[in-house]
Amino acid sequence: MRDYWLSKLFFDLQSSPPLGAEYRTDRKKILDRYPLKPEVRKAVERDDVAFLAARVNPYLLRFYFVVTGMPENEFLKKVRNAGAETAARSSHG
Amino acid sequence: MAELVGVYAASHAPLIVRGWTDVSVPNQESLTRSMTELGRRMKAAKPDVIVEIAPDHWVNFFINNLPSICVGMGEEHDGPAEPWMKDCPYKKIKGHPRLAQHIVETALERDFEPSVSHHLTLDHGFCIPLWRGGLDPLPPIVPIIFNDLEPPYPTVRRCLQWGAMLAEAVRSYPEDIRIALLATGGLSHSIGEPTMGEIDEPFDRECIRHFEGGDERRLVDFLNERLPTIGNGAAEIRNWVAAHGAAGKRGFELIGYCNCPEVYVGCGFASWNLGARA
Repeated sequence: MRDYWLSKLFFDLQSSPPLGAEYRTDRKKILDRYPLKPEVRKAVERDDVAFLAARVNPYLLRFYFVVTGMPENEFLKKVRNAGAETAARSSHG
Repeated sequence: MAELVGVYAASHAPLIVRGWTDVSVPNQESLTRSMTELGRRMKAAKPDVIVEIAPDHWVNFFINNLPSICVGMGEEHDGPAEPWMKDCPYKKIKGHPRLAQHIVETALERDFEPSVSHHLTLDHGFCIPLWRGGLDPLPPIVPIIFNDLEPPYPTVRRCLQWGAMLAEAVRSYPEDIRIALLATGGLSHSIGEPTMGEIDEPFDRECIRHFEGGDERRLVDFLNERLPTIGNGAAEIRNWVAAHGAAGKRGFELIGYCNCPEVYVGCGFASWNLGARA
């Protein structure tokens, strides 16, 4: 499943370098423009890669964390853990 | 009548540009050798137009409107928008509306239903192999975007059929021009997934053997079975399959393969010998 507005947020940020710069300065201001579900917004705010990975195209996920400036090694670690976290969450209902 | 003068395939890993200095010297040499040879072959074929198949990396399309296959019919296209492609010499890329129109009409006549665009932005997927192959000046390009990024994808079999139909469209085009076909993407890689960075060289080698073998059914069966089990980037091998179909499913020749973890991609480069029609 794709979360449309989460996908749109990620798409817009990677499409527009000025918007990406604005997002790095004031994340809340940009997030307020998108009708994100509360749990999705929380996941964005806490960089919950595993939660986000289940709801957005993997390339958009990758581009998003490039835009936010997350170091490559940190992203790799989080995305590689995402599979295990997703499996653990589903096994706990 | 027009002539199909060459069919080629190439990987287009962004880090070939964005992270080149982090690539080991042997891998730099391997990639440079392959890309230079690919460019040499393309230039030697003297194409008046290149029909190029590549995916769209969320530059032209989004999930509110996501064509499976889109033919670029415009007089001109924009060069890559990615900030790290700023040194790419292709800022505006000339199209070939008449050939594109003929391709779309041939497609519709043969019961294919492509989407069309009269102005595309050609991202790194289109531009890296041409740029690194040294095609400057660039002949006009008819870009064809295959959706290899967001499932559901076009089937492997349909991509093969697309290639055969494209070859027919080229050969029935009434102008006396030379046309090459370049497909970009693949081989194995995984982007933004838990397997990110994994390269499946045994898969890549087996895939290459299937292209070399030329058995259509085995190639399609192999990809149908294996593509869902490996990284998402390998979906772009559909573009190679279309090139294979255009070449008549014969004559595949590997120019080079580089398992290059620094760019996250099993990089392959190939051309098809169009004289080999056994």
